[in-house]
Amino acid sequence: MRPSLVLGALALAAAACERSTQTQPPAAAAGAPAAHYAVGPIPGGGERSERTNPFADDRGAATSGRRLFVAYNCAGCHGGHAGGGMGPSLRDDVWLYGGADGDVFASIAEGRANGMPAWGTLLPESQIWLLTTYVKSLRTPHEAQPPR
Amino acid sequence: MLGTNTRRVLESGRRAAACAVVCVALGCDGAPSGDAAAQPEAPAAVQSVAGSKPGIQLVSPLPTGEWHLPSGDYAATRFSPLDQLDTSNVGGLKVVHTFSTGTLRGHEGGPLIVGGTMYVTTPYPNNLIAIDLTQPGGAIRWIYEPNPDPRAVGIACCDVVNRGASYANGKIIYNLLDAHTVAVDAETGKEVWRTKTGSIDIGETTTMAPLVVKDKVIVGNSGGELGVRGWVLALDVETGKELWRAFAAGPDSEVLIGENFRPFYEKDRGKDLGVSSWPPDQWKLGGGTAWGWISYDPALDLIYYGTGNPGVWNPDLRPGDNKWSCTIFARDPDDGSARWAYQISAHDAWDYDEIMENVLVDMEWGGRMRKLLIHPGRTGFVFVLDRESGELLSAEKFQPVNWAERYEITTGKPVEVPEKRTRGGAVTHNICPSSTGAKEWNPSAFSPRTGLLYIAAHNTCMDYEGIEANYIAGTPYLGASVKMYRGPGGYHGELVAWDPVQAKPVWTIRDEKLPLYSGVLATAGDLVFYGRMDGWFHAVDARDGRELWKFKTGSGVIGNPVTYIGPDGKQYVAVYSGVGGWMGAVAFPGVSADDPYAALGVVGAMADIKKHTVQGGMVYVFGL
Repeated sequence: MRPSLVLGALALAAAACERSTQTQPPAAAAGAPAAHYAVGPIPGGGERSERTNPFADDRGAATSGRRLFVAYNCAGCHGGHAGGGMGPSLRDDVWLYGGADGDVFASIAEGRANGMPAWGTLLPESQIWLLTTYVKSLRTPHEAQPPR
Repeated sequence: MLGTNTRRVLESGRRAAACAVVCVALGCDGAPSGDAAAQPEAPAAVQSVAGSKPGIQLVSPLPTGEWHLPSGDYAATRFSPLDQLDTSNVGGLKVVHTFSTGTLRGHEGGPLIVGGTMYVTTPYPNNLIAIDLTQPGGAIRWIYEPNPDPRAVGIACCDVVNRGASYANGKIIYNLLDAHTVAVDAETGKEVWRTKTGSIDIGETTTMAPLVVKDKVIVGNSGGELGVRGWVLALDVETGKELWRAFAAGPDSEVLIGENFRPFYEKDRGKDLGVSSWPPDQWKLGGGTAWGWISYDPALDLIYYGTGNPGVWNPDLRPGDNKWSCTIFARDPDDGSARWAYQISAHDAWDYDEIMENVLVDMEWGGRMRKLLIHPGRTGFVFVLDRESGELLSAEKFQPVNWAERYEITTGKPVEVPEKRTRGGAVTHNICPSSTGAKEWNPSAFSPRTGLLYIAAHNTCMDYEGIEANYIAGTPYLGASVKMYRGPGGYHGELVAWDPVQAKPVWTIRDEKLPLYSGVLATAGDLVFYGRMDGWFHAVDARDGRELWKFKTGSGVIGNPVTYIGPDGKQYVAVYSGVGGWMGAVAFPGVSADDPYAALGVVGAMADIKKHTVQGGMVYVFGL
C-alpha cells in the first residue's frame, strides 16, 4: 500500500465531506505554503498570524475536520478526542506554538518539533483549515462529536 | 555479618568486577566470544539455591553481588540470592543515596551495577549515567549523551521509555529511542559502536532492554501502533554488526523458520504462515514487535521472547490468524533460526501483545522434572509451557478475564467468548482485560524458596470499536477507538503471589487506587520488593505478603527494583521513581483527563492518577 495513493483517496473522500460546509474554498492544487514567520516567542509580542480561517464561522466545518482528524491518524497521536497521548493534548489551555487559527494552521502545515509531521506538503490548504476548525472547537459548546 | 550465601555471591561479584577491569585494560578485542568475561561465572546448566523448595532448580548464572543483565539473570527470574536483608531487618531500611536522572518521562527499567559503579539509562534523551558507588553519597563518574533524533519522541506509542541495558565484555549496551543500539565503554563512557537497527520514518523505535547472549546482543523493535513489521535481531557484541534478523511476519525465509522448526501444535504448522495468514501484503504492516524481555537457557542454548499485537488494531481489516503476532518464539541465538513457536491468540482483536517476560525454571511437574517457561500474559492467563517442546502445560486466569473461557491444552487454543471478539463498525462493551492487559510489560519475579511467581497485575476493562484505518508511514495505524475503565472487584492494581503448579494465587495485595506498573524483585532473604504508581515502594514477606517496610518516593514507581552488594560489602536495593509509560503518562500535563479515549484509551481508566502523583526522575538507593 502506497501512502500517496491512500492520501489521494482520502483527499477525494474529504472533498465530499466539504459539501456540508457553507464556504467552499477552491481546492488547492499544491500544498500549503512553507513557514513565513518564526516559531516561538515573538519579541515585543507583535502580531503573528495574518492568515484568516475561511471556515471560522462554519459549524459544519468542525465536523468535517473531525472526520479528517480520524482519517489522517491525528487521533492516534493526539488522542481519540484530542486529549493527548503520543502527542500533546489539543483540548487543554496550552498552545505551544500559538492558539490563533493561523497559528494552528501553521503548526499543522509546517510540522513541529518532536515528531509532528509537516502536513502542508501532503494536504490541500482547505483540509488544513478544516482540521484547524475542529481543533479550535474542542471544549467549546459546538465541539464536533465530543467524548462520551 | 555476612551469611554464607552472601559471602559466596559477594566473592563472585568481586571476580566479575576484577575481570571487567582487566577487559578494559586489555581492550578485550582478542577476547574469545561468550567467555567468562561476559558473566561472573561460567554458565552451568542449573543451580539450586539454598533453602529452595524440593524439585526447583534455576537456570544459572544467577545475579551475584552485582546486576549485569536487565532481569539480573538470563532466565528472567528477577531473583537475587543475596540474604543480608531479610524479613527480620528490612524494617530498618533507609535511603542512602538519591540521584536525579535529569529527565521527567517514564522511568521503566532499572540500573545495572558493575564493579562499584551503577549505570542508569534514562528515558529519552537516553543518557547513560555512571555513578561511582565507592564515593560518599555516590558521585557522577561520567554521563554519556547519545543525542538521539528528537523526531522519535512523536512516534513512541507509550511514552519515551527505556527498559534498561546489558553489561558484557566491558561495555554497557542499550537501545536509543530512535532505533539505534549503542555500546559504551563501561570505564570511560566513550561510545564503542552505534548501530542503526530500524527507521523512525516508518515508525520504528527501540525501547526494550537488549540481552547479551554469548557474543551477540539480542534486540527487538517497537512500533506496533504504527504499522511496523516486528523483528528481533542479533548484533555482534564487539562491533555492533548485524548478524541475523528474524521478522515476526512474512515468508519463512524472513521469519527464519527452517528445517529445525518444530512447533508443538498443529495450528502453528505450515509453510509461510507469516504470509498466508494475512490478506495480501498486510503482513508488511503486521506488527508483532518484540518490545519486551528476552530470556536465555544456556543448557538448551535457546532464547525465548514474545511478540506484540498484529497491525492494524481493527481485526476486520486483517482476516486470518495473523502469524506470528502474539506468539512465543524459541530461537537458536547463533543464527536466529526458530525452534518452536506458540501463538497465544490467533487473529488478536484486543491488542493483547504477549511481549511479557518468559521466566525459565526447572520444576517438578506431574511427577518429573521439566524445563518450564512461565509466561504471565497480557491476556490474563498464566501460561506454563515446556520450553524444550513448546507444549502448553497449563493456562489459568490470574485477573478478571472474559474474552475467553479457558485454554484447551490438547489444541493450545483458547475457548473464546464470541460476543467479546471486537469488530469493525460496532462497539464491543465490557471486555476484560483491557488492551493494557491483566499485566503490562513490567516483569514478575520468581523465588525458588517459595516456588511462587510474583506478578504486578492490574484490573482494567474496556469498550472497543473497530474503525477505519489509513496507512500513512510514520503515523499511528490503529483503526480502533478504545475507552478503558477499572475492572470489577473494587481494586485497580494487585500483587499476585502465584503458584504455577497449583495454578492459583497463594496471596495477593490489592491497590485500590492505581494499577501496579513496576517490576518485582525477589530475594533469598524472602523479601519481595515492588512499587506503586503513587510513589510508594514496598517490601513484603515472600511467604505471606505481610508488609514489612515502605517508603514514599517522589513520583510514581514504574521501574524494576534491583539489589546488589556495595563496595562496603553491604546489601542495597535500588529503584527508579518517575511515573510514565502508557498508563502512567496520564499523569503528564500534556494529557487531558476529559477525553477518556486519549492515549489510546487509557485516560478513561487513569484520569485519577493526576490526584496522586506528578512527573519525576530519580534513582533511590536503600540500605540498612
